[in-house]
Amino acid sequence: MSSVSGALPTTIIVAGLALAGYALLMTALNRRMGLVLLVALGVLEILLLVLVATIVVRLVGGGRPAGLPTLIGYLIATPLVPVVAGFWGALERSRWGPAVIAVAGLVAAVLMVRLHEIWPVIRV
Amino acid sequence: MSEPIAPPEQAPARPESTRTGPGRLLVAVYGLFALSASARAGVQIATKFSHAPVAYLLSAFAGVVYILATATLANGSPTARRIAVVSCSVEFAGVLAVGTWSLVDPATFPDATVWSGYGSGYGFVPLVLPVFGLLWLRHWAKRAAAQRTSMPAARDEAETAGGGAVDARQR
Repeated sequence: MSSVSGALPTTIIVAGLALAGYALLMTALNRRMGLVLLVALGVLEILLLVLVATIVVRLVGGGRPAGLPTLIGYLIATPLVPVVAGFWGALERSRWGPAVIAVAGLVAAVLMVRLHEIWPVIRV
Repeated sequence: MSEPIAPPEQAPARPESTRTGPGRLLVAVYGLFALSASARAGVQIATKFSHAPVAYLLSAFAGVVYILATATLANGSPTARRIAVVSCSVEFAGVLAVGTWSLVDPATFPDATVWSGYGSGYGFVPLVLPVFGLLWLRHWAKRAAAQRTSMPAARDEAETAGGGAVDARQR
């Protein structure tokens, strides 16, 4: 069975780390949540949803990883990361709002590595 | 840079609760570990408990401690803060004990827990998280003590409202 293209997870890692870097810069500069961060979170969310869709297609097509329950858990939790971080960060009217967004970016990148470990056909 | 600069009055403003200011970040990271540790332990115990029972039970215990710390830090009432101090202390003791145990006796841990190798599988975040949690709670304990001595009348209001009264006054 061929592998899922590594382009999308790699893009998500780069996007997540870039978002984390920008958000941490905002924290360092004492800025609070703004439109740029929310748009960037939205872009990350779309990338994650596309990734989840491609993995679901792969599962429907008959592919089965060893740790299927774990993979399903990740497929549910992954798209929630930017959403929950966005709400939790937007509630904060200080530099610590962007800090929450930075965590979401880092988590998105780490999740790509974990997904690859759970199911190696998901290339990174 | 189009991100709004935090208004000047907010830069030195003190957080209103254990869940605001730096606490916002702390609760987010605690919530992340609460979810990942307990979900992981749940799957492991349900699917392959006999493979590494000690590791999985310790993961489940860690998950419960993280859930408790997340909920109490997010609540921020005086009682919640006391419970948070206990759970962060247990967490710190746990990561030190399990970290040492996993290095001395690797045979007991064929599969990793959150706290194995002092949390090395999670970028050592489990090791530093309780330290920041306890520092944050100590800051709040000092603040509550200062409030008690300086303005006894406002104490009950500010304390029982979880800082909501302070919040309203600032706006």
